[in-house]
Amino acid sequence: MIDLIMRILVYGAVSGGIWALAASGFSLIFGIGRILNFAHGTFFVLSAYICFILAKDLGVNLFISYIIAILLVGALGVVVYKIMMAPVRHHEVMVIIVTLAFALLVEQILLLLFGEHGYSIPSFVSGSMEIGGVLIPKTRILAFFVSIAVIILLEYFINRTRTGKMISAVSQDSEAAMLVGMDVEKLFMITMFVSASLAGIGGLLFGQVFGASPIFAVKSLIYAFAIVILGGLGSVRGSIIASFIVGYIITTTIILLGSRWAEFVMLITIISILIFRPTGLFGVEE
Amino acid sequence: MMRKLLILVLLGVLLLGCTQQPTQPAGKKEVVIGVIGPMALPEGSSEKNAAMLAVEEINAKGGILGAKLKLVVGDTKINPDTAASEFRRLATVEKADMITGGFSSGVMNAMMEVMAETKTVFLADASSPGHPAMVEKEYDKYKYWFRISQNNGTTFAWDMVEMIDFLEESGYSVDRVYIIRDEHIWTDAVMAALKPEFEKRGIEIVADREVGRGYTDYEPLLLEAKDLNADLVMPILAIAGTGDALAKAWGTLKIPALLAGHDLAAIDYQFYDKTNGMANYEIFLNDGGALVTACPTDMCKKFVEAYKAKYGHYPESHQAYGAYDAVYAYKIAVEEAQKAGEKNPFDPDVVVKYLEKHDTKNPIVLTRTIAWHKNHALVWGDKFVRNWIAQWQDGKQYIISPKNVANGELKLPPWVTK
Repeated sequence: MIDLIMRILVYGAVSGGIWALAASGFSLIFGIGRILNFAHGTFFVLSAYICFILAKDLGVNLFISYIIAILLVGALGVVVYKIMMAPVRHHEVMVIIVTLAFALLVEQILLLLFGEHGYSIPSFVSGSMEIGGVLIPKTRILAFFVSIAVIILLEYFINRTRTGKMISAVSQDSEAAMLVGMDVEKLFMITMFVSASLAGIGGLLFGQVFGASPIFAVKSLIYAFAIVILGGLGSVRGSIIASFIVGYIITTTIILLGSRWAEFVMLITIISILIFRPTGLFGVEE
Repeated sequence: MMRKLLILVLLGVLLLGCTQQPTQPAGKKEVVIGVIGPMALPEGSSEKNAAMLAVEEINAKGGILGAKLKLVVGDTKINPDTAASEFRRLATVEKADMITGGFSSGVMNAMMEVMAETKTVFLADASSPGHPAMVEKEYDKYKYWFRISQNNGTTFAWDMVEMIDFLEESGYSVDRVYIIRDEHIWTDAVMAALKPEFEKRGIEIVADREVGRGYTDYEPLLLEAKDLNADLVMPILAIAGTGDALAKAWGTLKIPALLAGHDLAAIDYQFYDKTNGMANYEIFLNDGGALVTACPTDMCKKFVEAYKAKYGHYPESHQAYGAYDAVYAYKIAVEEAQKAGEKNPFDPDVVVKYLEKHDTKNPIVLTRTIAWHKNHALVWGDKFVRNWIAQWQDGKQYIISPKNVANGELKLPPWVTK
């Protein structure tokens, strides 16, 4: 029994870490601009494919490939915002439509170029090790520690830096922020860069554990969306905590009930929580 | 003099007419071959590539009864609705004379209805025994359907049992099996056939886990297999599409149980690289009866090399052999019908009649040896199409059983000792 609990603790934490990156990015851009970016899952898988092309096909150093992939996805996020989202930013439904269209377009391009079966993203580590008697691949451990490090950096960026505080201010009242002289449009672009980069890092960590496939774009979007709703729309801290809750629900279900029930139990739990707390765990009523 | 000259000219024309073989039935200038499948997957893309290769080869030799072949492509996206509408487009808009492909038994059900309605010859890819059962039950409606790519799903069970017998004979005792399978109709048929065979051999199924499409979290399942002292982890995976993630997790965690079963992704020649070499020692069923490294016929050997020459790589899935054979089998049936004096050898009912003539006594030797049962399922057996037992060893695929086709020997992973 202790073995099972340890396994749930270890694997749940690792899954939660990866999803925390994807969900916090999704939450960040919603928090500042009420933008529901349905292309978020696309950034998640794109980074893995960019890294794969750089490292495997072009022979670029693995560390540099990871960095370039994250930066490129972040930059793409800004471009997508400027060209597609900004003109319709005040129409939430239009934002959903254009980002969904972009996501489907990229998915089709990836399917045409790479097909649906996965590609393994090279990792910095290999093999497995035991933690508390639980055997775990080192790729998962790497994913966990990188996730935690990035989450700490994100918290620092939002709460301690001048830019982060301005982003928080815009998320509270963009008109007031504009009146006191903040360049709101520039802050949107910075947020979009950070949001897409977070998805990109999540995608890379996921890819080096499981592989990259276009079908993970939808999966990651659904997970991010579910987590963000559970955590409370717009609350980055809520998203992070909700990610770990979801990670534990999924892992517990896989271990105790079987894999086929994992997503079902996760969604039932989220719906149940939302019935009692419609704004999510850390959301506030508008 | 003039009269003699005219007679000579007339004789010459008649002689020329006799040597102009083959003749083409009135009005038939083009034969349309449809290929349908999930084009974003290796299963679909290889079907398209292989069918194209066959079409080009046949056209280079004059086509079918003088009519050139044209290839048209439909994408199912593994969605029954899309598959049905794409099949309808190929049959009615593109006017396909024969359609090959498919993949996924659920999708196949949807396409078979359109096939029956449009009376289109369909040389298909899907393994559920439900499809030939439909032919048997409502012959006039479904007779246009023939399985070409692989055997019935039930034969996967026979081959997996044979895999276990082979392991036992090789000194690896199998008593406790952990199953990871697609949450899909086709694996139900496999399990139904597998269970009694396991019972006969005193083999216990310690767990039977179903996974959905795109599932990746295999580590907890493998650790459970280890906890349950399984000596064999048996994947029955095609639709999940993540056999690479399973092999990667198994090789990384070094689970002390063999990974041996039916993992469709493992047939892909790029599979080893996709798992960063973690697929080493994985044992899999070589679904479809042919493998690049162990071709059962001369035509198969020529085909894989021609495929590589044209596309830069070997066939990426076993469906390639089926699609290639489908075009040739159709050609043979039409030509036999013409030879037998049929008025319209392209008539779907006529083609069905001549395809049916190829049973165990009269098989067609293509990339595999093709023969059909009365219900249009492929005949299973060492001399026909069957799933060879194969293994990944240091980046190469080897058939390790049965002995008459094996080109390698079983190798156990160093971390599996028994």
